[in-house]
Amino acid sequence: MIRLALRSVPLVFALAITGCANIKLDATGATPATVEKLRAANLAPAQVGSFKLAAGKDPAMDTTLSGLRGSTLAPGKGSWSQFLKDTLVAELTASGLFNPASTSIIEGQLTDSKVDAAIGTGTSRLAARFTITNGGRVVYEKEVAAEASWESSFLGAVAIPTAMNQYGALYKTLVAKLVDDPDFRRALAK
Amino acid sequence: MPCRGLEWNPRLHREKFMTRFVGALRSLLLAAVMSFLGGCAAFYVDGNAPEVPSAQYKKPASPAGVQLLWEFQTRGVANARATELLKARVSEQIVASGLFSSVSDLPDAGGALLSVTVNNVPLSDDAAGKGFIAGLTFGIAGQTVGDGYEGTLRYTPGRSGAPTLQRSGKHVIYTSLGSGSPPPGSLKMPSVAEAVTTMLRQLISRTLNDLSLEAAFP
Repeated sequence: MIRLALRSVPLVFALAITGCANIKLDATGATPATVEKLRAANLAPAQVGSFKLAAGKDPAMDTTLSGLRGSTLAPGKGSWSQFLKDTLVAELTASGLFNPASTSIIEGQLTDSKVDAAIGTGTSRLAARFTITNGGRVVYEKEVAAEASWESSFLGAVAIPTAMNQYGALYKTLVAKLVDDPDFRRALAK
Repeated sequence: MPCRGLEWNPRLHREKFMTRFVGALRSLLLAAVMSFLGGCAAFYVDGNAPEVPSAQYKKPASPAGVQLLWEFQTRGVANARATELLKARVSEQIVASGLFSSVSDLPDAGGALLSVTVNNVPLSDDAAGKGFIAGLTFGIAGQTVGDGYEGTLRYTPGRSGAPTLQRSGKHVIYTSLGSGSPPPGSLKMPSVAEAVTTMLRQLISRTLNDLSLEAAFP
């Protein structure tokens, strides 16, 4: 028991570095692995257009997040779809592939966003339908999803920041899966 | 005839009571440990992975500019908050290394890319058997646990077709409670934050030194 608590100290420090369980999440820097892939893919630069909640989805899905044992995690700029857009822009910018004047436009619609910090196994899922148009013609349209599951502590002090981190990391995972899609690469090929 | 499920069984009830009592006691103990941990826990970094001074690096005759990408991971998952918190320290260390003419988040005109990743993995009790501790101290005893950190540095030169160079290193932070003994030679840190930043500085310095010795660098 004591060893479990001890083991949690650096982990909690690294996961949370905050004492508050009601926090806002902002997009951060680019991901080394994704940038390396984008640089090697020989793609043409693109601009990033509208990102919004998919039609027919509960509006709350784009602005809130439940499943955190009463704690809350909110998107820093008001919506999770905007958070996804910012994540994509960060990866493209760091790869030298973001050009607001490009004729290729990447757009997205959030179709799923959830997390469950349950005792035992935590789970989260994020999905979006991405579209790429070039000169008004749709050259790519596909729903991409990312999921995660992890060992979730009975201790809220450990489980909640872990779940928040796992959920936040899904945005980078989702963009990485998009980048890995051969159809995406074909749509943006030089 | 009474139903078996409703029969009074003193031994079964005593066991149930003891189970609940022990469970409550464990929760209280854990709460106490977590509450007071900051005051009585001690933090150490492994003493066998010291910092390599930047003066010791093999400096290139004509350093190139580089784009720096940095990520802290927890069990292989990107940790945005820790990445952001430690970003400035990592950047300062790369700049001060003298191995590059300029360091930026954005793509460098010359095309060189340096990615630095540190992954925090809790060490199991058989970490030595699995080889994680190889080259580092191992001798965790009592109420002491180790947290492993795997650092990976990847450098892609700007030259077209040049292969990516990769160097890796490992480090450990120990946390002791009460009479727990840290491994011999480990260095006591004043706080967990100091332990993390010291570990990071030492780990990156060693991988940077290894990179500088590569014949293909820069």
